[in-house]
Amino acid sequence: MGLLVGGGGGGSMHSMVALAWDSGDDVCVHGVGMLVIDQMLKAHVWLQTSDGSILQVEQEVAIFCPFICHEIQSGTGSSKCYPISLPSRVNPPMLSLILDYCRFHQVPGHSNKERKSFDERFVRMDTKRLCELTSAADSLELKPLVDLTSRALARVIEGKTPEEIREIFHLPDDLTEEEKLEPIKNTMDDPRIRLLNRLYARKRKELKERERLKNVEAEAERVDDRSVDDLLSYINGGNGDFKGTTTSKNKKKNRRRKDHQKTAPLNCTSCSNGTSSSSNSVDISKKESNEMDSVCNNPMVHSNIWPNLVNTTEFLDSGNARFAPEEFDDCDLDDDIDPALKEEIDREVADFARRLNSDWPERLQEILSVGSDKNQLPLSRNENGTSRRFRGDQLQK
Amino acid sequence: MAQSFPEDVLVHVFSFLNCDKDRNAVSLVCKSWYDIERSSRRRIFIGNCYAVSPEILIRRFPDVRAVELKGKPHFADFNLVPEGWGGYVYPWVVSMARAYPWLEEIKLKRMVVTDESLELISKSFKNFKVLVLLSCEGFTTDGLAYIAANCRNLRELDLGESEVEDLSGHWLSHFPDNCTSLVSLNISCLVSEVSFSALERLVARSPNLKTLRLNRAVPLEKLPNLLYCAPQLVELGTGVYFAEIQSDIFSNLAEAFLGCKQLKGLSGFWDVVPAYLPAMYSVCSRITSLNLSYATAQNPDLVHFVSQCSNLQRLWVLDYIEDTGLEALAASCKDLQELRVFPSDPYDAEGNVTLTEQGLVAVSEGCPKLQSVLYFCRQMSNAALVTIARNRPNMIRFRLCIIEPRAPDYLTLEPLDTGFGAIVENCKELRRLSMSGLLTDRVFEYIGTHAKKLEMLSIAFAGNSDLGLHHVLSGCESLRKLEIRDCPFGDKALLANATKLETMRSLWMSSCSVSFGACKLLGQKMPRLNVEVINERGPPDSGPESCPVEKLYVYRTIAGPRVDMPGFVWTMDEHVSSRLSRATE
Repeated sequence: MGLLVGGGGGGSMHSMVALAWDSGDDVCVHGVGMLVIDQMLKAHVWLQTSDGSILQVEQEVAIFCPFICHEIQSGTGSSKCYPISLPSRVNPPMLSLILDYCRFHQVPGHSNKERKSFDERFVRMDTKRLCELTSAADSLELKPLVDLTSRALARVIEGKTPEEIREIFHLPDDLTEEEKLEPIKNTMDDPRIRLLNRLYARKRKELKERERLKNVEAEAERVDDRSVDDLLSYINGGNGDFKGTTTSKNKKKNRRRKDHQKTAPLNCTSCSNGTSSSSNSVDISKKESNEMDSVCNNPMVHSNIWPNLVNTTEFLDSGNARFAPEEFDDCDLDDDIDPALKEEIDREVADFARRLNSDWPERLQEILSVGSDKNQLPLSRNENGTSRRFRGDQLQK
Repeated sequence: MAQSFPEDVLVHVFSFLNCDKDRNAVSLVCKSWYDIERSSRRRIFIGNCYAVSPEILIRRFPDVRAVELKGKPHFADFNLVPEGWGGYVYPWVVSMARAYPWLEEIKLKRMVVTDESLELISKSFKNFKVLVLLSCEGFTTDGLAYIAANCRNLRELDLGESEVEDLSGHWLSHFPDNCTSLVSLNISCLVSEVSFSALERLVARSPNLKTLRLNRAVPLEKLPNLLYCAPQLVELGTGVYFAEIQSDIFSNLAEAFLGCKQLKGLSGFWDVVPAYLPAMYSVCSRITSLNLSYATAQNPDLVHFVSQCSNLQRLWVLDYIEDTGLEALAASCKDLQELRVFPSDPYDAEGNVTLTEQGLVAVSEGCPKLQSVLYFCRQMSNAALVTIARNRPNMIRFRLCIIEPRAPDYLTLEPLDTGFGAIVENCKELRRLSMSGLLTDRVFEYIGTHAKKLEMLSIAFAGNSDLGLHHVLSGCESLRKLEIRDCPFGDKALLANATKLETMRSLWMSSCSVSFGACKLLGQKMPRLNVEVINERGPPDSGPESCPVEKLYVYRTIAGPRVDMPGFVWTMDEHVSSRLSRATE
């Protein structure tokens, strides 16, 4: 796009008249001489931005802005000594942009297609400028431009997560956990759960590392059933023995369950639920990763199971049910993420863990505490396979 | 930077965000955006009316103009939800009548609506414009009379497929003579005759009427009268498409259709007489949406008519179309996006039509834009499913109903795991899936591995063990609604994935193996879930803990347990045991 900037005209050193033409056009409409005459014939107004600088602009362009139009009608702006004071949100670069917009659109000759095309090109700028421009256009009451920029901002926002939006617009993360939970959420994109998953994925990898160093004998049981059993051990008493072996009770249960898979569940005693398994939670991690690796390599998949297991491991290994932020700082995982990003994620995760500590301990405690009450499980069976009747008051909170 | 925005500018920016997901994201950004968003939100969608209460809604969103609510779970359509289960709109209407005097739109799906509610709606909202009742029940034509009489600016009245007690057809006459604002009227679910002259006058004085769906009782001979009153119609649902063969009826019809230059959608066609189908040929080339699911026409008339509609995007049809008809469809309707083929006689084991997997394969080959399928058939093969999957990686909704439960691949007698596996693996944008036929845990492994965008999954008579359910719950990241019937899924997978349930809208399990004890545990440990046991045969604690419950409905909520449950529904929470022991005293 060619730009001819002519000075002079009307004697003012500050005036800036720009004639722009597309390189596709074959000829520039005005020669320089004509330009000077035009400028002398056209009326001008003087605008002053909050930094004190004054600009001389063709009146026909400036009055496209209702604010300026009103000011002219009340008598200001006709000379350099009495410039129109523009609102503070209009700084010189924004003014320049707005005048470009006005200059194009105030010409009646353009087709709708041309206008649309101009608009599309016009709003291509970084978000910060877009915000400034929206704000400036709003203060000058230039509704068409406000609409254009607002739509563009909406497109920036569309499809983004709250964190992404926060980052783009430099907004504080000042909603409390409660406030975040309260909204009517039809979204599946709960940022809390996503961060949790990431947190657990890393923890899982750490455990996997630890596991390789330990000497644990692998069970050659039916892998399918074993893993599901293991998953539930925390609910039904997973703090049994920490050694590597599973009890024969477990094996019997698995076989029985397999047999009953195909029959209709009308016979209540055949219903298998809740193994009061005493399998090793550390053992789980190895089994888990073997089994699940074959199913899916995606850490997100694992992390949906793992929340429970990781908590258990934390609880059992360290005897401390809370997430200690220090735990995560020691993680040295080779994730093939670049170190800077990794550091940021680690910080995010540690920060999240801290916030989690202040919010979730009660709920987590509840879930975890079932595992610790081996003798008072609601679903435990004795060796004969008959179940005890549940008494609500027995369950410890 | 954005803080210096005046609020009304931000509101203006938000007004260009169309989908709820974006508005929800905006509300979670920071305190000021939360406040601005909530005061400027005008449209609300609540996918489960029990997930939130009217009070919470009103407290958070003070100036709402359009509300959409859904009540019963989807399996209510298959009569799996007992009568009296719930989903009452009345408490919502009462609260909204107080808080939202400027409410304009109410859209309900699978809810119980009473005449009282309709009367209250008609009298409480001065600017009421849109009432949509899809698959609702509980009201009579008297309730409709209130709406007709009192809603001065009514634009849309859509009764969907609701069950309406038809006391008389007079309700239509309650529209005042100065009511000229109608844009859309759908009375296709009504049984009794409405006064035709009242209908004709109403149509004639509604210049903006774009959608008119008549009920069966409107005779074919009278259809031209209505078409002449409303040549601007975009969507037409005929009444009964049956009349004695008379040339003047035909010519009247053909001429009337000739005048309808804007017509894009057709439905109705009860008891269709094929000889009258050609009367619509003049509009066929513009038709994009065709619902022939009540049309008992057979080939060649049926396929000849459908093939005329070269711009067809959506077709609902009975299996009378057969494989040959679908092959013709694939050849002539290249813009087809959605196909639904319904069974003409679902209870006949043999079936008397030649509709097989070949028809669907043909359409998947010939129609590049096909993305939404609902297909009832009697045989399927893995090979066909693999072919369909490879042909149409752009599939978004795939619902296959092989009529016989647990039917294997009819060629190899193997389970259909591979076929459905191919579907989820190739169709990466798949959002909705319904499966049928013989399926083992393996298919769920595929689903958990590949179906990352899947939002709704319907399973029946499938799987071998809890591992199947576990694969789904742990693998499907986008899962919102899961409905299961007659599968051998028990407690393990459910309890192991308890936290997953809070990220979903709801889970339905009926005739599975989930024990009462597990339900209680789930309900007690997850306070933000409502775990409801439906046991029509008696209280769930009348047997041992390990006894399976009949039906289980779990959904996330911030409104706490329901208070409007019938006797056969129990909420599992910390008080359940005392409630039950009291009840059985």
